[in-house]
Amino acid sequence: MAEQDQFDVIIVGSGAGGAPVAHTLVSAGKYILVLEKGPLFRPQQDDPLGLSDYKRDELISDGPEKILTIPGLVNTGASFYTSHVEPDLNDEPHIYQSNDSADYATIEGYTCQCVGGGTQHYGGVSLRFSERDLTLRTFNESRTDIRHDPNGDVKREARDWPITYTELEPYYTKAEQLIGLNGTRTNQIKVASADYYQKPLEPNPISEYARIGMEALGMKPYRTPQAVITQDHAPSGRKVGPLNQRDWEGGPKTAYVNRYGDCLDYKSTTWVALLRPIASRPGFTLRPNCNVTHLECNASRVVTVHYRDPSGQPATVSGKVIVLACSAIETVRLLMLSAEQASTFDSRINQNDLLGKYFLTHCFGGASAIMPGRFDKSRTIDSDWASDFCGTDDFIRSAGLWAGATIYNNTSDQALPIALARTHGATDLDTLWHAFDNDTSMVGEHLKDFLNAQFNRRLSVSFMANQVPQKANRIELHRKVRDKWGRRVAYIIKSWHDHDRFLMDTIAARCRDVLGYGGDGGKGQYPVEGFGGVYLSENALARIANHILGGARFGSDERDSVLDKNCRAWHFDNLYLTDGCFMPTSGSGNPTLTIQANALRVGDAVLASGIV
Amino acid sequence: MLPNILHSRAMPYRLLSRDDTYVLNYSTKYLARDNTDDRHNYGQYAAGDPRARIAEAWRFPIIDSYYDGQDYEASYDFNTVTFIYANSDPGLASVAVVGTFADLHAPVPLRRVAGTKYWTVTMVVPKGEVHTYKFIVGGEPRLDPVNPQHATKADGSQWSRFFTQFCTQIISFEEWEVVLLQRLTEHILPFRTTEGQRFLDLYYNYLDRNAKETVYPHAYRLDQPIGAVSFIDKVVAREESHRLQDYKICLETIDRLLRNRNPYTEPSRIAMEFYTELYDQMAGGNPRGWDFSRYKNPRFFLQLLRRHTYTGAFSHPKYGGNAGGAGWAYLAANLPDPQTGALPTERSQPSYFDWGHALERPLGRNPEYHG
Ligand SMILES: Cc1cc2nc3c(=O)[nH]c(=O)nc-3n(C[C@H](O)[C@H](O)[C@H](O)COP(=O)(O)OP(=O)(O)OC[C@H]3O[C@@H](n4cnc5c(N)ncnc54)[C@H](O)[C@@H]3O)c2cc1C
Repeated sequence: MAEQDQFDVIIVGSGAGGAPVAHTLVSAGKYILVLEKGPLFRPQQDDPLGLSDYKRDELISDGPEKILTIPGLVNTGASFYTSHVEPDLNDEPHIYQSNDSADYATIEGYTCQCVGGGTQHYGGVSLRFSERDLTLRTFNESRTDIRHDPNGDVKREARDWPITYTELEPYYTKAEQLIGLNGTRTNQIKVASADYYQKPLEPNPISEYARIGMEALGMKPYRTPQAVITQDHAPSGRKVGPLNQRDWEGGPKTAYVNRYGDCLDYKSTTWVALLRPIASRPGFTLRPNCNVTHLECNASRVVTVHYRDPSGQPATVSGKVIVLACSAIETVRLLMLSAEQASTFDSRINQNDLLGKYFLTHCFGGASAIMPGRFDKSRTIDSDWASDFCGTDDFIRSAGLWAGATIYNNTSDQALPIALARTHGATDLDTLWHAFDNDTSMVGEHLKDFLNAQFNRRLSVSFMANQVPQKANRIELHRKVRDKWGRRVAYIIKSWHDHDRFLMDTIAARCRDVLGYGGDGGKGQYPVEGFGGVYLSENALARIANHILGGARFGSDERDSVLDKNCRAWHFDNLYLTDGCFMPTSGSGNPTLTIQANALRVGDAVLASGIV
Repeated sequence: MLPNILHSRAMPYRLLSRDDTYVLNYSTKYLARDNTDDRHNYGQYAAGDPRARIAEAWRFPIIDSYYDGQDYEASYDFNTVTFIYANSDPGLASVAVVGTFADLHAPVPLRRVAGTKYWTVTMVVPKGEVHTYKFIVGGEPRLDPVNPQHATKADGSQWSRFFTQFCTQIISFEEWEVVLLQRLTEHILPFRTTEGQRFLDLYYNYLDRNAKETVYPHAYRLDQPIGAVSFIDKVVAREESHRLQDYKICLETIDRLLRNRNPYTEPSRIAMEFYTELYDQMAGGNPRGWDFSRYKNPRFFLQLLRRHTYTGAFSHPKYGGNAGGAGWAYLAANLPDPQTGALPTERSQPSYFDWGHALERPLGRNPEYHG
């Protein structure tokens, strides 16, 4: 059977960056192909057998032990545990450079490799960035009160986005409408022209401590916007099932939201919210299980996309416009591998030395405590309360910071028994089970005491904040290590700026206060055992918070950016990048809603380009 | 290996059609690749075994939930088993599978997924069973080239093997090993405490009286606390088969060591204190009388055993442990209100872990999710 090999637009990757473009273009009558490396795992509603590939099963997200066998790495021989939608580390590792300049393989820096990408497993926290997040250069230019920045890096490296909040705003609104979120607006500092939030469900009772703490500290809380529907959602044709009649049975409140694919239709993944609604249109073709290996260009046009079909056979397709949305690290890698194959591609994509540079994640961290009461945390959709208190200009200035943060509570973490043990003392995906394994005294009565002290009593408050952009934080191709196709893998080199550490200490202390004041009804004396920024953790340099940003930033000057304002690669006519790679700064909140809003904007730009 | 794993009864089989998307979803990531290095051998294969090139070869054949489209509680007694055979030879005319799930003389044909190298067929097989099979490729019987599980029949012939979910039949260990493992896992889990034991007895009695057959047919009362040993038996047979050798060597070492310490008592009968003492010594890394020439790191084995035991107690019962959800029910019923010390009771105080709310019927009570 000869497959179609000509399309108006080819989109590589079906996650937060790819799907909105597909939705826009198919709705406008274009013929597009989505090539997605991973499988099309379906919720019950669209599986022919009425069963989902996603399960409410802790061992599906915490896979069995495997052992790293790639020779020559510091952690060769170490155990690792991956979920069913993460790549096998021996087949497709990311390598990062640690403090001692040695190389480690890591599973950090992948979200999910399946249709929907990271939106399948994400917690769905869907914050807008603030106006200030997009103008950090202007904001910091003339300041003299920025602390812990002896070399003036902040002023030198901060960038304004080439678009204003006002330009992005209609797309935030459109994204919120199309995707399906619940939450509340009052007390947010982000201005919205329309409110498409659905009604939030009752918060989990343990979150009340966070609310009390926030109120006591004058941090006006709002209900965290989350990509989970609580009412029928017309744009995507989803219904909420028996929830309406019986809130206490069924519905989305389970601990299988964050880190799990949703077996039902509640979580607003890009598959159920954006792709499935257009799946029967003639202009839509999706090829899952197809891994794109490189691009080929003819002068300023990318003409051919090379990929491996589901059997692993080489195949090609061509399109008038090519959109890459493989998530930042893999998109940058794909471009670098394409450049290696052809000097014409190389000279255009590397017209300056910025590809892969200014890789970003977030400054993140928080506080965690055992609270006075015990509550059934397994009935939650993850986060209940958020606050923009640390995002206002007043706060930023008074704290001597360069940019702001958002604070929110997490309810679902460690709400299930295996998660409690495997993440006990672990700070990242590479150290799962470590602390539990080493604490061998925890058996019998002691294990009971542990469960008694911890299970369904922990509450954490997290923050997300802008990381100072540094050119030395970068993605390269690793010299030696290759994936299962013989392609060089991504090499991640990054460190935290002094100011990042200071910022994390500052905001983590606020998170501690939320619990300290929340735990004792506003007196501020409640003991909080752990707080801090990610930089303090084991493997701190590998940590990416699943927020994979930058590496191909957009801008208005082609000498200072990889992409133009419309996320088109400067010296190509028809190559657009729409995953998190375009961000010149990482924003004061979780990035996905912004990736989606921007991708909707780029979809319009592609239509306006006249190429298709 | 215990001999009772091989079913020989003939029976009608049920086929089911799974669409191409399903088959590719469970094939490409593992079976499509160029590399020929042994990246996936962590000790489970002999050198040069071609399965070492394949990620997660243990996933084959694919065992999944079943739903007949009408009654998912009745469907809950069955799994689907999807066989996948990869062969890019365009001239290959037919592939079939023969096995103990169907009449041995009736090969079940596989179909080729159009435009790919994958051949496939899906059957409906009862839960809790162990089966053996071979592919018939161009008329010749062949072991499944991917599935690492093999079984040797009485006549010495080698077959590929799989087991379905909720399997409590022991397949990796000898009887004495099971008994020893039981004693070791008892020390790890809190169910051995007086209240823990009382709770489990009540829980299973309750299931026996009211629910065992109707509400939850897969709640076997095993002779071991909540089936952690059954879980370990399964996980080293499939997902973590590279750890089977750790168990084999260490159980033998422990058996010998306990016999030396207690020449007049069988290890299965010695008092709990001896296990506690051994456990602590292993944690310290240097148990008196340990044969280090056979196994270097007793503490490592202890950690492995502990991770497996905990996982078995609290993972979904389909993996062979946590029988009837008893581990979860323990958490729901035995953790007190930290302020008053009161345990949850059905009427006045809601449970702190209402696990049944999220899970499929008949194990749980979720009205939407089918497992
Ligand atoms: C557990 C978890 C929780 C999270 N929680 C939140 C949250 O609460 N809020 C939030 O904002 N964000 C959250 N995130 C992050 C969020 O998932 C990402 O920000 C988002 O998905 C990034 O979008 P993207 O388009 O850049 O990449 P992705 O959504 O990851 O999409 C990339 C897609 O490209 C595919 N692909 C990669 N390489 C190729 C190739 N060569 N050929 C073909 N296809 C390819 C991948 O398989 C994938 O499907 C979370 C992530 C995880 C894993």
